[in-house]
Amino acid sequence: MALEPVFGIADWVIGIFQTLAIIVLAPLMTGVMRKVKASSQKRVGSSIFQPYYDLLKLMRKDEVISDQSSWIFRFTPWVVFAATATAALFIPAFVSFTPFSIAGDLLLVVGLFGLARFFTMLAGLDVASAFGGLGSSREMMMSALIEPALFITIFAISLTYGGTNVSTIVSSAVDATIASSAGIITPTLIFASISFFIVLMAETGRIPFDNPATHLELTMVHEAMVLEYSGRSLALLEWAQSIKMAILLTLLVNIFAPWGIVSAGQPQQLGSAILIAPLILAGKMLIVAILIAHIETRIAKWRLFRIPDLLAMAMSSSMIGVIFFYL
Amino acid sequence: MIENLLVAVILTYIMGGLSALLSKSSKFTIYVSFIASLAASILTVAISISVLILGFEGQDALRVSYLQNATPVGSVIDFMLDDKAAFFTLVVGLVSSAVSIYSIGYAKGYLGKRNVSALGFLFNIFILSMILVVLSNNAFAFLVFWELMSLTSFFLVIYEHEKESNVKSGLIYLIMTHLGTAFIIGSFLTVYAQSGDLSFDSFRQSSASIPPLMKGVVFVLAFIGFGTKAGIVPLHIWLPKAHPSAPSNVSALMSAVMLKVAIYGLVRTIFDFSGIGPSQDFTWWGILMFAAGSVSSLIGVLYAVVEHDIKRALAFHSIENIGIIFIGLGISVIFYSFNLMPLSMLALAASMYHTMNHAIFKGLLFMGAGSVISRIHIRDIERMGGLIKKMPWTALFFLIGAISIAGFPPFNGFISEWLTMQALLSSYQIPSVPVQIIIAFGSLVLALTLGVAAATFVKLFGISFLSKGRSDHVNEAKEVPRMMLLGKGILASLCIILGIFPAAGINLIASAFDFPSSMQLATPFDALSIQNENNPAAPNFASLSIPVAIVLLGSMGLAVFGFARVIGGKQKKTVYGTWDCGFGGLTERMEYTATSLSQPIRSVFKALYKPQYHVQKDFHFNSNQYLPKSIKVESATRDVFEERLYSPTVHAAIGILDRIRRIQTGKVNAYILYIMITLLILLVIVRVFS
Repeated sequence: MALEPVFGIADWVIGIFQTLAIIVLAPLMTGVMRKVKASSQKRVGSSIFQPYYDLLKLMRKDEVISDQSSWIFRFTPWVVFAATATAALFIPAFVSFTPFSIAGDLLLVVGLFGLARFFTMLAGLDVASAFGGLGSSREMMMSALIEPALFITIFAISLTYGGTNVSTIVSSAVDATIASSAGIITPTLIFASISFFIVLMAETGRIPFDNPATHLELTMVHEAMVLEYSGRSLALLEWAQSIKMAILLTLLVNIFAPWGIVSAGQPQQLGSAILIAPLILAGKMLIVAILIAHIETRIAKWRLFRIPDLLAMAMSSSMIGVIFFYL
Repeated sequence: MIENLLVAVILTYIMGGLSALLSKSSKFTIYVSFIASLAASILTVAISISVLILGFEGQDALRVSYLQNATPVGSVIDFMLDDKAAFFTLVVGLVSSAVSIYSIGYAKGYLGKRNVSALGFLFNIFILSMILVVLSNNAFAFLVFWELMSLTSFFLVIYEHEKESNVKSGLIYLIMTHLGTAFIIGSFLTVYAQSGDLSFDSFRQSSASIPPLMKGVVFVLAFIGFGTKAGIVPLHIWLPKAHPSAPSNVSALMSAVMLKVAIYGLVRTIFDFSGIGPSQDFTWWGILMFAAGSVSSLIGVLYAVVEHDIKRALAFHSIENIGIIFIGLGISVIFYSFNLMPLSMLALAASMYHTMNHAIFKGLLFMGAGSVISRIHIRDIERMGGLIKKMPWTALFFLIGAISIAGFPPFNGFISEWLTMQALLSSYQIPSVPVQIIIAFGSLVLALTLGVAAATFVKLFGISFLSKGRSDHVNEAKEVPRMMLLGKGILASLCIILGIFPAAGINLIASAFDFPSSMQLATPFDALSIQNENNPAAPNFASLSIPVAIVLLGSMGLAVFGFARVIGGKQKKTVYGTWDCGFGGLTERMEYTATSLSQPIRSVFKALYKPQYHVQKDFHFNSNQYLPKSIKVESATRDVFEERLYSPTVHAAIGILDRIRRIQTGKVNAYILYIMITLLILLVIVRVFS
């Protein structure tokens, strides 16, 4: 339909490098968040590399599979990991574009997360345990309500930055900050960022939506669905969960705080900035991670039937953002 | 040449139907009637595709007509296959051929129990009538075939007529469908008043000269009429009753195809007969359809999620998907009215792509449900479970259908939902703030619908196919015969093909609705891309290339597989019982049920269902209520529309008619009095007006 942008080898290398960085460093981010949470609770906490040790240990362990389960149960971890890791391809991390944006946009990323979640919910039901069903049931309600909040947030973002193509969004955001450093502080984006933050907490199962560290049936959601998994399958699921968290955090900071990203429009600064940009990104993500850890420390998990209120708040917040854009 | 083939299609259906009717109910009947419908349907597909791709040998459309002046209203046998019609006959043909193959296996279940001849006859005539509705080039013929379609489907709905509930739902269907037909007749007559001729050619010519107010009347009547047949809320009430009552192969046809014929009627009326133009006078048409579509999709899916009858749940999903189709159509008309033609085409492509997709995956899902029901003879998913081990292929095909309808990549549902969402996101180009805000709210509803739809299919697939069997019926289950698998397999592969190569579907739609070549994709591997010319720095609004995404997904899967293999080495897998908290002996009664699975959603949206719980407790000692002996809980949900809208209307109507009946006293002198009063009134009228 129109001219496709032409990418050189360097762009593809950077694109693949960004994706690999997200996939490889995601467990580290989980480790940092656990450490921050531990220290805000006046605990020492485990090393920030603990998630890697756990993954390694689980990868090497033998698996126990339920005799009630079918191929869905065995297939799910691979689908979940492949879908989540593929989603990471479409995310520009410290350069404002990724050549993979030709193949998919933000809606595809949401669709891939949805596919992963669909299979996780089925796997929860597959093992004939009441725990799995309980997790799937709660996840069904939450995912049904997250979907509209997320879509309207995407609506607000695409109105502001002209597209659902993630590269378009991030480059426009970077250009806006270059034009004026406060150029991106608009009512639409402020409301959308509130909504996106709530969606992020819900999607990744943080308190008050879900407690990633619990094994109490009253409070479990995600953990209940994957309760029967062990060994390599569990490693894949946990890694995928970390990657999802990393993707959403990267999107959050890159869309709503795009300072310090290397812009596609300024190749002359590529050399120096490409070294600093990852550090800036890591710094921004660390700030959000600290914020999340503190939220998790300060408040308790909410009752399940109060969660719709919070998601409704996200929906109305992004809807107000959209209406602000039009008015 | 093609004209003759078209006649051959019609004759094959008639022959298939008649030979079924004339032969004794036996295996032979099944083969004759369903192979005839299979052959005719395949021929229909071939004709439609050749028309869409090759055109019509220099004419604007393919025409077949006989007996030009046989009746006062012109020729009844006056058929025209243009691009739009060809798209819909393609959909009818595709699904019908798969369902015909499936029926060869499915109808054998009726042998010796029921008259298969009637089924074969009605099945053929039903498909034929749907094709003829689409082909008709004359309002009279259209209505005749429309009525034939309604009547054959009515007889198919009451095919298992010894169940009283089936007859009752058939009756409701009959009443509602005729109510709709009345509105369609009204719409056509309004155009006829302007054109003076019932042929669609004259409708097209005179459409521009219809007075503005009457254009609105034509649209509203057609919208209500065709909307009733398509199952738009609140006119949907027949749909979740009639579709589950019919035999499953017919449910597949009704849900997948018959609803699309209604969409065809509406598209034809709006874009050909109503005299719509790129002016803001017509914006409200689009908004009406958009609003109706949003409400239908949400209501449909919210009733589907609490339903335990697998076929009723699928029927409610049809309402949801028809809603999504109407959202696309409505947006398309809104863009059209603001003269944003490329966007209007985008929305129309989304809507038509979803029309085709819904036909394919709903046909697949109904056939899957039919396979399960034909084996275990229950429709309540609460008593299924574990079927994936007994019926692995049926489970796989049902899963493909479920992922498609839930709208996840890389299946076909994702493409049409992506296109619909892009159409909604493009609403920023509309120069009217109120319309933009309406569309934003509609998007919220659509996204909620998609979220709940995914949840519903987790429930439908998870409860019926996964985990442990929930009743003894499941133990009898075994895989269905090959013919039934083949029928589902065809549609399942179409779900995958149309998901991975959206170019195939989009180019068909583009040639059916005369899109410019810039809206088409040159190769199957091209990305779907939407450009925003107002933003020259970053013009790419969105782009999507599913073939590339599939390759990426596959290579990610392989990479992690290799990685895990290298890091983890070879491993042993131990099969052991599910964790039972150490108490021992998990039984199927400890599994999560369908009711409890959907309980959180039910309590969030309780205003719609008015859920009721009856708890009955028996105690060991009535003085000590802490030690119950047994607890019995019954829960039920209710249909708000039936209770609040239909029951009062029906009661009011019966009340009024009761009062009118009082004039029927049965006394001769009373009737003489009526005659005299009537005569006097007539005399006065004649006196006054002459």
